[in-house]
Formats: sequence, structure tokens, C-alpha cells
Amino acid sequence: MKTFTETYTDLDRAIDEVRTLADEWKASRQSGVPDDEMIHCACLVLHEWIANLHRHARFHDEPPTVEVRLTYEDPHLSCSVSDNSEGFELDAHLPAEDDDLESLPEGGMGLRIIKSCTDDFSYAPAEDGLYRFDFSIPSDHDPWLNTLF
Amino acid sequence: MGFDARRASSETVVIHVGEALDFRNADAFKSTFQEHVENGIRQFVLDFSDTEVLDSTGLGAIFSLYREISSDDGKVAFADVSEPVQVVVHLTRTYKVFRQFPSVEAAQEAFSG
Repeated sequence: MKTFTETYTDLDRAIDEVRTLADEWKASRQSGVPDDEMIHCACLVLHEWIANLHRHARFHDEPPTVEVRLTYEDPHLSCSVSDNSEGFELDAHLPAEDDDLESLPEGGMGLRIIKSCTDDFSYAPAEDGLYRFDFSIPSDHDPWLNTLF
Repeated sequence: MGFDARRASSETVVIHVGEALDFRNADAFKSTFQEHVENGIRQFVLDFSDTEVLDSTGLGAIFSLYREISSDDGKVAFADVSEPVQVVVHLTRTYKVFRQFPSVEAAQEAFSG
């Protein structure tokens, strides 16, 4: 099992750096690298999630802190993003399966991208008092099969 | 930061999307196209040749443009689409809405044809 962890206190910086996180992760390891498609999906999901926190989460008047943890254990790439926000109900933000997508909605596309890229995801309080977003991507995941319309 | 937009013809504007179109500059993108929509432009070519990041909010801003002009038979074309943008386009299936062209010139030619 290989793990890469990075903590950010600036969400803008976090968004910019998760794009290169995978490269750093690969550079820090000797073997067992997940394929590029898995890594690209993970980076897309991380961008969408941290952007979601940046735009919508409240942080108790404290500086926001997020910890990104990537773990690869063949055949799964797992990722968690812990944050010190007040949390929110993920279900309330999820697009319904029968939403009218032909209307080209300006919102909700981020969670559609997350759904398409991942095998499973959740957002819930963690034991340490933080909230944690978890997702996993199996190596045989086909994001095109998960698209919703 | 603003977006580079140039009038390619009396009817068409080409917007160079640049490195990123995401939640941080989506409003600037809207301001850019709005000015041209108000001047009667209904054909837009989005040049994604240098674009590394297109997120859901950026995509939402493009939807916003399309909604504004589609009732006037307006068109939005994607040109020279980079690999990261192509992935998002496929994940969201927006290729069903926006035609793609290998170059800005090819998109302009299709508009004028």
C-alpha cells in the first residue's frame, strides 16, 4: 500500500496544487503507480470537491484546513479529503437521477463529474471532529459508463 | 483576469479560454461574452488550445452563454480542444450540445458555410 498525504490551509493553493499532486505522488514512489486515467479522474474529483468547499462550506470563522490523502492498493485508488468546516448534507446537493439535463443546468455538474469518476463516495463527520469526503476509483472503472445522461 | 476575445467577422467572436476556466474566473468569462452578446454577436468559437482546467462552474458559464443565444439561432463551437477539456466534455456529454472542430479556423469556416 502506498499513501500520499498533503495538508493545505489555503483552498486556492490546494486547488492549484492537486493538479500536480499526482505527479508528486508518482515521483515519491518506486513502483505500483496507478494508471494515468485513474490519476486524472482523482484530480478532477479533488478539484471539484475542494472548489465545492471553497464556495459553499463554512469554517467556524477559522482558517480552512484540508488534508488530502491518496492511497493506492491495487486495484483501488482511494482518497480522502478531511476538512474543518461545519459540514453539510451531501444528499441535499446531489442531482436527482431524473433531473432535466437537457436544460443545461448551471449548477450541479460538479457532483455529476464526481459520480461519473468514482466507484463510491461519501461525506460524513469523522472521529477527529473533522468532516471527511471519501471516494475510491477501481482500476477497471469506466467513467463513461457512469455518466448520467 | 479577463479573457482574450477577438472579432473574427461581423458575426463571430473567438474567445481564447487560456489556461483555466473554473469557478474563480467564470464571472470574468461571462462579462467577456456578455459584452459581445449585447452587441448582437450570436456565434462564438471557444479556443481551448491552452486549457488545462475546465471545471463544472466553467462549464456552467458556457451553458449560460449558450442559453442566452440559442433562442436567436446562436452557436457555440469548441475548437482545438485540449485533452483535459476533452475528458470533461465526455464525462458531462456536452459534446451533444457543442460542436467540436480541430482548429479555430475550421470552426469559423463551418460558421460561415
